[in-house]
Amino acid sequence: MSDAEGAAEQLIELRLPSRLGYERIAMDTAAALARRMGFANDRIDALRTAIGEAVTNAIEHGNQADAAMKVVVVLTVRPDELIISVSDQGRKALEIEQTKTRPHITDAFQRADKGGWGIWLMRELMDEVEFTLAPGGGNQVRMVVHLERSPVRDQ
Amino acid sequence: MLEDELTVNIRHRDGVAIIDLIGDVTTFAEEKINGAYRQVTARGDRFILLNFRQNDYINSAGIAILIGIVTEVNQNGQKLAVSGLSPHFQKIFRMVGLAQYAEIYQTEEEALSAFKRLGSVE
Repeated sequence: MSDAEGAAEQLIELRLPSRLGYERIAMDTAAALARRMGFANDRIDALRTAIGEAVTNAIEHGNQADAAMKVVVVLTVRPDELIISVSDQGRKALEIEQTKTRPHITDAFQRADKGGWGIWLMRELMDEVEFTLAPGGGNQVRMVVHLERSPVRDQ
Repeated sequence: MLEDELTVNIRHRDGVAIIDLIGDVTTFAEEKINGAYRQVTARGDRFILLNFRQNDYINSAGIAILIGIVTEVNQNGQKLAVSGLSPHFQKIFRMVGLAQYAEIYQTEEEALSAFKRLGSVE
């Protein structure tokens, strides 16, 4: 097997319609993959939540829930980490400021819109989260979750 | 196919209104959860338990709905608790700050005992 074939086998790509509910397909796929990679259950739960939020954002904001527009999820398996990239077609661009907020529940009590927790949850739950522009011009978020090894073996 | 319906069931035990949330708590759940809350509030219920199932999917839209309930519970002088959350969602409720306004219990029985100490049973 060539290196190219070896690398290709480590990539899983999903193309989802921009309709709420389809984020579950990405959550289930990522969870199944993470389980096979040996992630602990609590990390898999965290991954499910983070990827669910990323895909929901792409559907609702980036693609404005236009079912004809696709959300592309790429899962890259590495020996010690899982990389999740979620991109939309960028009907609406994400403002960088929106990706850095730390919401507070007491503020939410005062607001009519009590949301805005998704990106913050992704940042809290994943080891790395980075927002960029997708090659096609849409929004892209890249998240990394590390497979934890015993400290002894890391030395 | 993927717009799973949430089943909401209202029961009363020991002076507590128990709202069972069976299914996913996402944006699709808003009307049902708010409707159940309005119903028990209209009856004059003061002690409310949101009883989840271990394996449910609660996302940030669902969290926003629950913050809406907490807002009204505080305004109406009611007491709210939650039970049946998986360890993952217990952690998220703590991260978000919901746990400060709705005490987390592992089971319905534990929550009912705690409500009893607060005077739910006359």
